[in-house]
Amino acid sequence: MNLARQYLRAVWNGRTLLIYTFLVSFLLFVISPFFMIGLKSVGKNWFGRMWFPPTLTTDWFRWAVEVTRIPEILKNTLVIAVLAVTISTLIGIPSGWAFGRRRVPGKELLMALILLPRMIPPITFALGVARIFYRLDLVDTHLGVALAHVAICAPYAILVLSSTFEGLDERVLEAASVCGANVVRTFFHVTLPMVLPGILSSIIFTFTTSYNEFTLTLMTYGPHTITLPVRTYLAVGEGYWEVSSAMSVILIIPSLLILFGIQRQVAPEKLVGGFKGV
Amino acid sequence: MKRVNLTTLILLLPGFAAFFGLFFYPMLVTVLQSLRPEGQSTGWTLENYVNFLTQPGARQVITLTFVLAVATTLLSILLSVPLALVLREKIRGHRIFRLAILVPITVPGLVGALGLLLFWGSRGWVNLFLVQFIPFIKEPLRFNYTIHGLILFYLWHYFSYTCVTTLATLEGLDRSIEEAASVAGANRWQVLRHIVLPLITPGILAGSVITFMLSFGAFSIPLVTGGNYRPLAVEIYTQIGVPIPPRWSLASAMAVVMAVLQIAFLSVYMRVLRRPIA
Repeated sequence: MNLARQYLRAVWNGRTLLIYTFLVSFLLFVISPFFMIGLKSVGKNWFGRMWFPPTLTTDWFRWAVEVTRIPEILKNTLVIAVLAVTISTLIGIPSGWAFGRRRVPGKELLMALILLPRMIPPITFALGVARIFYRLDLVDTHLGVALAHVAICAPYAILVLSSTFEGLDERVLEAASVCGANVVRTFFHVTLPMVLPGILSSIIFTFTTSYNEFTLTLMTYGPHTITLPVRTYLAVGEGYWEVSSAMSVILIIPSLLILFGIQRQVAPEKLVGGFKGV
Repeated sequence: MKRVNLTTLILLLPGFAAFFGLFFYPMLVTVLQSLRPEGQSTGWTLENYVNFLTQPGARQVITLTFVLAVATTLLSILLSVPLALVLREKIRGHRIFRLAILVPITVPGLVGALGLLLFWGSRGWVNLFLVQFIPFIKEPLRFNYTIHGLILFYLWHYFSYTCVTTLATLEGLDRSIEEAASVAGANRWQVLRHIVLPLITPGILAGSVITFMLSFGAFSIPLVTGGNYRPLAVEIYTQIGVPIPPRWSLASAMAVVMAVLQIAFLSVYMRVLRRPIA
């Protein structure tokens, strides 16, 4: 009994240690895969039971750039992402304004409808998208792939922007007009600075969604519109793990930059889709 | 009810144009295709559904998809609650762990899948650790292309949604309620069990519903890491990718079944969510 109590006290005193063990194992669980990718992409002759590759090389990166034409694929990915972001933002601003600031009958139901593409597995409507785009000759064009991405980017833009516009304080706008600012001045000096962070976060999120999108790209891509995720998938299928790792490293850099950027700017729960407190 | 303003309608137009053009119409095409005889674009039949649902494999595929999704959701809750409780205390270095939660959602799924295959593979760090430091493990354990491995990989990809929402709800709690309970004589366990957990349950559920939806519809991860275990989404893709000519009608029927299952499960989940917590 005494022993048990002593043991419990020791555990209690070692609580901080326990907590950190838990946290560090969690951290390792999440980020170790990236260390292994990083090492695999620069390692040579890494077979058998070794913690680290015996020799380092840049061959795989050179291979990725020269043979799999990474620069061209990166260009495709970015062009598609920029198109998808532009279209989604152009859709999101008016519709988000209507949802956020105007009387819309059945608002909640309509919003749920708009968000439906994010709730249903993309593969289900991707089949239809592929068939329609084949008929319209949109398959294997940048615009076509981008439009397919808009299907899931636009709901996100509308959601984020409507909550941004909703948060706009009417009284500030009134104060501006009381102080003698005309409509144009109010817009550029008051409204725009206030909604800009929201628009920016909508752009970041839709960009990430499009940049990472795989299912819808796989159904609409062609030889001229291979994106980085699709190329990585193909490389994994071909069995070149080292080259796939090198590609993954290239693919991951923008994501990490965005991650560090948003950590400071926006609340993380926005990132998970704004379902907080459904 | 007042008539809807014309301006509101015009503002909503782009959002609904995107919804109908890029989601509703493709979904309709999928549904129609599922009712066409294989390889034809006219005529009506139900045989695709009959063929799929009477196949001996169909029940296995659906069960596998559900098992993966449910197990992932439960594990994500089991991981998120302690993690959120620990991170709430703002201990030293908590920012790094918070950032780690966001890594799986910002990084392309395929990169994560590749890294996980390397990390948990027979020559990965996990097995190196197990073989070298755990005395009774002599041979590397198999994680890749197994059910438990898949659940682990799903957990890595989708736990963030549960975790972020749980953490946000927990941090929104009024600390004075807990203080009141402990002043009233409740010990830490009782406070956790009877005060904190019931209060954060809505947050946990709201987050885990996203985890569930995504793991039910998961495509890229099981495509790369599933091996012979093919959940619904991968099975659908296999039907249009492997056989020649592709079986579009069968794939569409499967997609419709998948969407219906997803919606049915979501509505049950939402009902549970809305119920006041006893």
